[in-house]
Amino acid sequence: MISKTVIEQLIDKLGKENVVCEPEDLLVLGYDATPGLHHAPDVVVYPTSTEAVQEAIRIAREEGLPITPRGSGSGLSGGSIPAKGGMVLCLNRMNKILEIDEENLTVTAQAGVITLDLANAVLAKGLYYPPDPASQKISTIGGNVMEDAGGLRCLKYGVTGDYVMALKCVLPDGSVITTGGKSVKDVAGYSFKDLLISSEGTLAIITEVTFRLIPPPQTNQTMLAYFDDIETAGKAVSEIIAAKIIPSTMEIMDKTTINCVEDYVKIGLPRETAALLLIEVDGHPAVVEEESAGVQKVLKQVKATEIHIAANKEEALGLATARRMALSAMARVSPSTLMEDATVPRSYMAQTFAEIERLATKYDLIVGTFGHAGDGNLHPTVLCDERDADQMKRAHAFFDDLYTKVLEWGGTVSGEHGIGIAKREYLARQVGPGGVAVMKRIKKAFDPDGILNPGKIFFDDQES
Amino acid sequence: MAELEKLGNFTADDAPKYEDILQCMRCGFCLPTCPTFSLTGRERSSPRGRVALARAVGEGKMEFNQAMKEEAFFCLDCRACTTACPSGVQAGSLMEMCRAQVSQQQPLPKWQAGFRDFVLKKMLPNPDLLETSMLPARLYQQLGIQWLVRHSKLLKLGPKWIDKAEGMMPELHQPLRQNIPQLSPAKGEKRGTVAFFLGCVMTLMYAEVSRQTVRVLNHQGFDVITPKAQKCCGAPHMTEGDRETTRQLAQHNLDLFLDLDVDAIVTDCAGCGAALKEYEELLAEREDHQRLQLFHSKIKDISEFLIEVGIHTEGLIPVNKVVTYHEPCHLCHAQGITKQPRDVIKSIPGVEFREMKEANWCCGSAATFSLKFTEASQKILDRKLDNVKDTEAEVLVTSNPGCHLQLAWGMREAEMSQPVLHLSELLGEATPES
Repeated sequence: MISKTVIEQLIDKLGKENVVCEPEDLLVLGYDATPGLHHAPDVVVYPTSTEAVQEAIRIAREEGLPITPRGSGSGLSGGSIPAKGGMVLCLNRMNKILEIDEENLTVTAQAGVITLDLANAVLAKGLYYPPDPASQKISTIGGNVMEDAGGLRCLKYGVTGDYVMALKCVLPDGSVITTGGKSVKDVAGYSFKDLLISSEGTLAIITEVTFRLIPPPQTNQTMLAYFDDIETAGKAVSEIIAAKIIPSTMEIMDKTTINCVEDYVKIGLPRETAALLLIEVDGHPAVVEEESAGVQKVLKQVKATEIHIAANKEEALGLATARRMALSAMARVSPSTLMEDATVPRSYMAQTFAEIERLATKYDLIVGTFGHAGDGNLHPTVLCDERDADQMKRAHAFFDDLYTKVLEWGGTVSGEHGIGIAKREYLARQVGPGGVAVMKRIKKAFDPDGILNPGKIFFDDQES
Repeated sequence: MAELEKLGNFTADDAPKYEDILQCMRCGFCLPTCPTFSLTGRERSSPRGRVALARAVGEGKMEFNQAMKEEAFFCLDCRACTTACPSGVQAGSLMEMCRAQVSQQQPLPKWQAGFRDFVLKKMLPNPDLLETSMLPARLYQQLGIQWLVRHSKLLKLGPKWIDKAEGMMPELHQPLRQNIPQLSPAKGEKRGTVAFFLGCVMTLMYAEVSRQTVRVLNHQGFDVITPKAQKCCGAPHMTEGDRETTRQLAQHNLDLFLDLDVDAIVTDCAGCGAALKEYEELLAEREDHQRLQLFHSKIKDISEFLIEVGIHTEGLIPVNKVVTYHEPCHLCHAQGITKQPRDVIKSIPGVEFREMKEANWCCGSAATFSLKFTEASQKILDRKLDNVKDTEAEVLVTSNPGCHLQLAWGMREAEMSQPVLHLSELLGEATPES
């Protein structure tokens, strides 16, 4: 329990409307989108400025309260769950876009701005912010930076971190630093901003972000290809890249996923097909035409059963939207969904699919797989029921085995969701004791008392 | 009857199903579509938060407490989250269930409960009683507004709600049910026969609108049967958490309308339409499945029906106006009807249709929400009115009496000169008299 005086201090500094401590409010701020994880905080604050963040951190530090930052709580590894209680620092009321700099092609915004709002605001000025995580309608840019969120366009355009130019953040000692800037080149000292990207709120609280922007592609073309078996789809991916074409999007869905999505969007996806690829090429009209023809040629060569070209923008958008719904649409058919984020070098895609199939049979599970085929980033999702203890055990064994293989092939345990609480063990396997030890030393340098988002990324010394 | 298994701290009767709660995977896709979350920024006032509260009650981690009760009623039940949710969570329906729990778990003091029961169980289900006198003052009583006055404190009604309730009253005509003929014959070549479901609010407050609906249907070539014995659809009871009376009303209407030999059962009230379509689920345990399906398949919103049979536009009088359209939540989210009303509007000669921003965002009416939470309701309404203004349309069309009352009142208050018309009124304007 938290003392009344602490609450009063917080209200005094942040305002009554920005401090929450009713049990029912706390209950609903103890989760994100990661299944099975919940821990209620003791207090939640909604700072509206960097100074307010400093005040909140100061009070928390004096009281020894752990601090967990949160945006919209749409994360998929438990990063914003207050695993040790304490204070949740909710940044979604810091939601102003501060500047769109058309000369330097940058946008600067507060951490709580919704990803899609930012993308739309810069688009209105004729500029493009490519990262588009599936949750962009609700995710915040602060959360995106902290998890280094990906999306559907990473193959050609990269991930969130590739667009970060500067970060303003508050350190656990209450001091404010700005790292990076609008200069295209910057090699002055350690690159703190790169260290902070994907640090999951364990090193500092980001309050402002400056992103690099690019001119939007002039046009694009969206295609759908259907396949009789998933290996052929995997082969198509490698062949397209081998033909020196980098599509902006190359997404894959297996049969289970297709059916779940079709149940919800009803846009006529073929329910019988084993796999489909959603491919988009974009850029100058001449390039789009050439690349589109190139992609179609490869698809015919590998014998895709059907190729469908989106007739117009609306249809293309509908297809991309359908893909974004994949995870939630799978949640429709089963009480629980366990999704993972296995990522392999692209050339191992076909093997990964085969391994997923083998393990699903071995552990008697229904698994739907979709993901960013072009990035080798797959989201095998077990459809399960968290009340069935035996099934849950098998599901975890499934992922255990899968990650062993993924690591063998030089892959990673997380392509874009982060480690959080859910994957600490897998991270330890990936980077080894030496890797974890370095990470802990870095953590200690930033946060000697361990008050920022404790229990994330790696186990505490006393836990492991 | 077999003892029902109890879910956590819910009572056994009319409780949410655990499966329905577990369906939420907390992705948060509902958040940007929820008017009360947008207004408060408070997670517990979001669909995801409300479902999480219900889950905690269902898992015995939280009592069915004041917060749960507040959220059950603060939810607009606009169903925007249902449209947005890829996982198929029905947060609105879950909150309706929780409202039913409120009356079981936190019963009102006897005298208050008595009055509420009088309104919901005696007055609304009995059309004759409801219509005995149509003096506006009596109407207030009949609709339970006097009861609201007496209990404004209890219900936490907003400070200015009484002015608003007064201001919202439209010009009253004779209630339609009493003087509409049982059969209004088709004009010209007959295309079929439909039954007309006449909503309580429509007959009492918007008699003229429903008269137009019947006239339009006749002109389109349909015999219209309006059975006098029909009763309230049950929506007010459902929203107040009285599911048993809802079921009784549903059973009565189901039997009555299935006895008629008609092609469709048409309504011009989005709220009634949504409620009638939900009979299938409501009566699932006590009525024959096929009869329920048959009934469901016949229920049509006026726009849904006209587009389905094909609207005849020859001979329509041009209406040379710029028109925009507000989507009633109970039409677009609860029934998934979005294209048909627009198609009807566009089919009228002379009309220039102009889409408004956030057409499917709630107007803040939401049954008694606009009287209980006057301030919140006003903010939601302001957002809507701004979007209406931006279109510079000359007419605002909608197709639900709750929205109609709220929008007409709001536009008067905001000194906006555009009339609010029901879809049937606009079509009525284009429909020649003979």
